[in-house]
Amino acid sequence: MKELITYIAKALVDVPEEVFVTEIQGEQTSVIELKVAKEDLGKVIGKQGRTARAMRTILSAASTKINKRSVLEIIE
Amino acid sequence: MEITETFEFEAKTDEEAIEKACRQLNLTRDEMEIEILEPGSAGIFGLVGGRKAKIKVTVSRKEPEVPEEEDGIAIAKEALEKILALIPMEGITVRAEQVDGAIVLNIEGDKSGLLIGRKGRTLDALQFIVNKIVNKTLERRARVIVDSEDYRQRRRDFLTQMALRMGDKAKKTQRPVSTNLLNPHDRRIVHLALREDEELGTKGRGEGVLKKVVIIPRRNNVSRSSRFQ
Repeated sequence: MKELITYIAKALVDVPEEVFVTEIQGEQTSVIELKVAKEDLGKVIGKQGRTARAMRTILSAASTKINKRSVLEIIE
Repeated sequence: MEITETFEFEAKTDEEAIEKACRQLNLTRDEMEIEILEPGSAGIFGLVGGRKAKIKVTVSRKEPEVPEEEDGIAIAKEALEKILALIPMEGITVRAEQVDGAIVLNIEGDKSGLLIGRKGRTLDALQFIVNKIVNKTLERRARVIVDSEDYRQRRRDFLTQMALRMGDKAKKTQRPVSTNLLNPHDRRIVHLALREDEELGTKGRGEGVLKKVVIIPRRNNVSRSSRFQ
């Protein structure tokens, strides 16, 4: 899950070196925290949150595959 | 757009002149076109009548960097394959082609429908992200369509049938009929399905990305056509 979000985020931002993803594994639910450079925040959120929503949709499909739930949090 | 520049270099021999050109232009030999104007000669015993070698170097570079269509396809395919591999999906292949100015990526082998999602939401999300990645890499607009198991065609057929059914209902009841909330692409299919029908009009209703389509019977048309029947 972590690698998936890292790849997508790095491909979308201007400063890929400042993409940091951490995964907090829970029993059923994992929380994935995405941190990007301040100026790239808009890139991972998108207009009306479309990019963030698309990442969450892909993430939940990936989680379904392993019968888990994942939550994506974008850290400001 | 190609920019061509020419330079001339002189040295004792043509070999040296080429080396000098490489050094000064900071290019390798393969990156430039070399024409030897004067081969240069050492003269007798290297003392008398020596002539310098003279070469002409033509450098052409593309500016601004505009990758070809092929690159768009390659970038899109690679991005999607990478995402699918990280999900991870096994036994999946991506077939890429250029159709009417759009890059169409067909995912083959997902029998579970996992990548389609409810109402194609996962497919749309993948499409949205791959579009973003391609447009960022190319720095120009490209349109990428992501499809799996013929979902796009099936959805188009389903929406067209639904639109026709709703159109019939609107005509029969003489009241507007409204669809569910649809994304712009789906709404377009509904509008197009009923465009030819003169007894019906269609209108989008709502705010934001998702809107309903209202199918409205045109009373005048109906009364006129029934009068002539």
